[in-house]
Amino acid sequence: MSASAVFILDVKGKPLISRNYKGDVAMSKIEHFMPLLVQREEEGALAPLLSHGQVHFLWTKHSNLYLVATTSKNANASLVYSFLYKTIEVFCEYFKELEEESIRDNFVIVYELLDELMDFGFPQTTDSKILQEYITQQSNKLETGKSRVPPTVTNAVSWRSEGIKYKKNEVFIDVIESVNLLVNANGSVLLSEIVGTIKLKVFLSGMPELRLGLNDRVLFELTGRSKNKSVELEDVKFHQCVRLSRFDNDRTISFIPPDGDFELMSYRLSTQVKPLIWIESVIEKFSHSRVEITVKAKGQFKKQSVANGVEISVPVPSDADSPRFKTSVGSAKYVPERNVVIWSIKSFPGGKEYLMRAHFGLPSVEKEEVEGRPPIGVKFEIPYFTVSGIQVRYMKIIEKSGYQALPWVRYITQSGDYQLRTS
Amino acid sequence: MPYLGSEDVVKELKKALCNPHIQADRLRYRNVIQRVIRYMTQGLDMSGVFMEMVKASATVDIVQKKLVYLYMCTYAPLKPDLALLAINTLCKDCSDPNPMVRGLALRSMCSLRMPGVQEYIQQPILNGLRDKASYVRRVAVLGCAKMHNLHGDSEVDGALVNELYSLLRDQDPIVVVNCLRSLEEILKQEGGVVINKPIAHHLLNRMSKLDQWGQAEVLNFLLRYQPRSEEELFDILNLLDSFLKSSSPGVVMGATKLFLILAKMFPHVQTDVLVRVKGPLLAACSSESRELCFVALCHVRQILHSLPGHFSSHYKKFFCSYSEPHYIKLQKVEVLCELVNDENVQQVLEELRGYCTDVSADFAQAAIFAIGAEKREQRGDKKSLGDCCQVSPTKILHCRCAATKRVPHIWLPCGIARTYTDQCVQILTELLGLRQEHITTVVVQTFRDLVWLCPQCTEAVCQALPGCEENIQDSEGKQALIWLLGVHGERIPNAPYVLEDFVENVKSETFPAVKMELLTALLRLFLSRPAECQDMLGRLLYYCIEEEKDMAVRDRGLFYYRLLLVGIDEVKRILCSPKSDPTLGLLEDPAERPVNSWASDFNTLVPVYGKAHWATISKCQGAERCDPELPKTSSFAASGPLIPEENKERVQELPDSGALMLVPNRQLTADYFEKTWLSLKVAHQQVLPWRGEFHPDTLQMALQVVNIQTIAMSRAGSRPWKAYLSAQDDTGCLFLTELLLEPGNSEMQISVKQNEARTETLNSFISVLETVIGTIEEIKS
Repeated sequence: MSASAVFILDVKGKPLISRNYKGDVAMSKIEHFMPLLVQREEEGALAPLLSHGQVHFLWTKHSNLYLVATTSKNANASLVYSFLYKTIEVFCEYFKELEEESIRDNFVIVYELLDELMDFGFPQTTDSKILQEYITQQSNKLETGKSRVPPTVTNAVSWRSEGIKYKKNEVFIDVIESVNLLVNANGSVLLSEIVGTIKLKVFLSGMPELRLGLNDRVLFELTGRSKNKSVELEDVKFHQCVRLSRFDNDRTISFIPPDGDFELMSYRLSTQVKPLIWIESVIEKFSHSRVEITVKAKGQFKKQSVANGVEISVPVPSDADSPRFKTSVGSAKYVPERNVVIWSIKSFPGGKEYLMRAHFGLPSVEKEEVEGRPPIGVKFEIPYFTVSGIQVRYMKIIEKSGYQALPWVRYITQSGDYQLRTS
Repeated sequence: MPYLGSEDVVKELKKALCNPHIQADRLRYRNVIQRVIRYMTQGLDMSGVFMEMVKASATVDIVQKKLVYLYMCTYAPLKPDLALLAINTLCKDCSDPNPMVRGLALRSMCSLRMPGVQEYIQQPILNGLRDKASYVRRVAVLGCAKMHNLHGDSEVDGALVNELYSLLRDQDPIVVVNCLRSLEEILKQEGGVVINKPIAHHLLNRMSKLDQWGQAEVLNFLLRYQPRSEEELFDILNLLDSFLKSSSPGVVMGATKLFLILAKMFPHVQTDVLVRVKGPLLAACSSESRELCFVALCHVRQILHSLPGHFSSHYKKFFCSYSEPHYIKLQKVEVLCELVNDENVQQVLEELRGYCTDVSADFAQAAIFAIGAEKREQRGDKKSLGDCCQVSPTKILHCRCAATKRVPHIWLPCGIARTYTDQCVQILTELLGLRQEHITTVVVQTFRDLVWLCPQCTEAVCQALPGCEENIQDSEGKQALIWLLGVHGERIPNAPYVLEDFVENVKSETFPAVKMELLTALLRLFLSRPAECQDMLGRLLYYCIEEEKDMAVRDRGLFYYRLLLVGIDEVKRILCSPKSDPTLGLLEDPAERPVNSWASDFNTLVPVYGKAHWATISKCQGAERCDPELPKTSSFAASGPLIPEENKERVQELPDSGALMLVPNRQLTADYFEKTWLSLKVAHQQVLPWRGEFHPDTLQMALQVVNIQTIAMSRAGSRPWKAYLSAQDDTGCLFLTELLLEPGNSEMQISVKQNEARTETLNSFISVLETVIGTIEEIKS
């Protein structure tokens, strides 16, 4: 990995901020970026990697900004992109939203951050929590005193500072599972997978040692508890703090956590589960006169559970007008700027079935351009429930001062990329 | 903000910076400095206030210091003499009690990028290396590399290098990684940082303490380490195993690459590694971050070239989602085509058919081409469908008769249509029914190529063609249709009438290429259906010769006219070329590329651009660019790092046999090879004893070491087995070779062709070849 320079460009390609780290690529090369991007876009051959002569541009777009890294070496692409995302993440944590305005308003801090994030083209301190300890937002208050080096910048455990103190020692564990679903227009499930993450919110003093126990099938088989209900985790990934070698040896998840929020681990399950909310739709288009939409939604999960904030967005032609709806529950709303009807249902118990009908007028003059067939999308959240059946069995917290700490667990299943194609 | 001439702005800011009242008020002072930086960021030339800014650096306010140093780093190259004045302040700050200030000052000083600064920074850097704050040590370590770069190519400071090597044992993980980076830069000329056993093991033990950037970096450096024993190798693999599970895609990819390279002698370990990264790669392919998803898809394709079917059971993961960007959809379509098998062909084709009617014409066309299993390397100059298209060195050779004068294409080995011709033709035929211009034109082009490759589908294609002409407007589509009508016109009842329409409208035809195609097609059709065509052929020839403005078309017209004057038999002899290419038999099934052929490119930009595109990019980068990935001392290893250790020495001696010097990396294109091969006579033929099975990869690698390139090779174990090789010596003489293993025969037949007849170089070439083949023969037995 080595980036020569990093640029933040506005939507027209004008540099807002640039930082020349290495000096081996002329800064003026960035002028070629936008024309190249536009040209490629017209050719339909746009890619996140562009080249001009000796220079490679690796770029990503965030709201109305382009972040571009230039390099003349045969760099490691995924690392450069990861660095750009990391930069975005850090900026977002500093400015809440990262966009042209926030860059302009905070250019001093942006420069300071860019200075710490990378040196000579190599990433340095990128953890926003550690950065926040010594690059503060309130740079306006005139502290003439010593700005002290935060201990973590020099620590062996790079993700946690020493000397953290809380009155009440608590850990909040969120087990969140997202369901990705792709259903063909004829109703056959093309893809169904569960992506789970375990997020922690840590309020613990000192340097605590944590151990997390899950109903992991491999662990249960190792310890001969295969009768209990367990989950086979695939493709498990951990935060840097987890001792991977221990996990490999005896499936123990042990770690010294960073302070505050972080994602401890993620996993993936490709076991087929029944789609949690099933949609059947009929979209009938009578040219020059009207479109009639019937959507049936069915909750295919346990009766005790309730899906909250269900939003079903159904595509309608862009030239549709005069909407009329009828729903058996919830409310429907036409959102012309996205060309969809959104049917919202506040609470949707398992096993129930609801219906919505919509009616739109169409102009008598048909418009020229052909339209795509956007899918029906569904958003929902089911609390106190995980599709996979994963459970936190225990969370042990050991600190040398010997305090008692409380772990809290919360389970949520939610929609990920949940799409049903329409014909 | 109203635009002010930068001169006025500079004058105003200068005044403000000098104003003692403002200087006294820290807040106002800093605001003025901020304005300077703001203008600088906007691209205004602020170098005019350099002196005043230097003065402003003497402050206790660290943010103000940062701003001033940033300013100095930007303008120091423009004002070197003034910048020297700032050195004093910087040096003083380097011994500030606050480590942040020390680090900041040192970093800025090293980034000044102006001549003459070295002598001032040397001492602060040395002090920095021994600073008690790791923050300063990190800066100082990279400062060494910056200083070295400033020096240009001056000699390496041995003491400094030793100091850096010893700092590899530093407490702070970032210092350790920075040491590696810095040494790599300083020792660039000598081949980069040396990773010996103690260092390698030290790094391996520190791995878990590093952040993701450090881990990825160390994994990359470890590529250079050659374990001493098999035991050690497997220890390392075990130790690093867990990094395949890292949450950082960069680390996963880095670990994969390291594994592939370390296990180059153990194909089953390599395969196992590729199985284990399946999960992480698939996850990355459906990652929310599009760029990472794109990179992962490119690597999936890379793996598929060696292990077709590796992802077949996961084909659904590569179905496109509605809102995905174009470049991801295109990659996914490519992947889908490559993992088709008997079980999933129905579902995949079904899915692809959906894409063919996508609202985006570009994507729809790409999907249609994909069904036709054909990938155009070049559509015109600009419209390459995917710059990431891979061209294998073993790509299928193909050559068309001159009369067909096709745009050169490169056939990709995937070939759904080759294996599942009927289904594909049926889908394509259905698409014609939509009567959409952008679809019809691409379908017809795909038909043309299909008919050429899979003659068995000719009948079905001929039945589907009538009526197409109404929905084709563009040049490419017209050419394809006309070609089909000309070559297979005897099977298409209304062929003459369709061509007649084209002849009628030839005056308004804007593309010369279409007119050329029309001439050829009509003349061909005339041969099979003279009665219907004679009249319009006469009209067309008359038009082309008398009225046509384009010289090429006119010449072609004249040429055919004269040809006709010679007599109809002569025309037949020249024009009736084969209508398909059954001779493609041998090479149509390209050898799967060995993992080792791309392992060293894994996790670089090469798979992301595609090898072909990368080759053109690096070519234009010129020879002066010393490839940082390939250290110089290992120039041998660079040409063939994958050769087993014990063979290395043996093969290394080979080039000395005779006065022959083969030029490295002389890769011929397959087209060129075939053309040359056909035009030359066999200069030498001989038979070598050959027993049993062997690995083509090994042979290919061994040949590569002596700079003989493999153009194409059959799959391992197939009979007859053939390979085509090329090499070029320093005088430009080409050696083209065919290796042939007949079924049931225990000999290898070697035929060599040479473009300049020179016996002595030929003899030395053959002896090189013999030695290599002999060596391989020995190894396997």
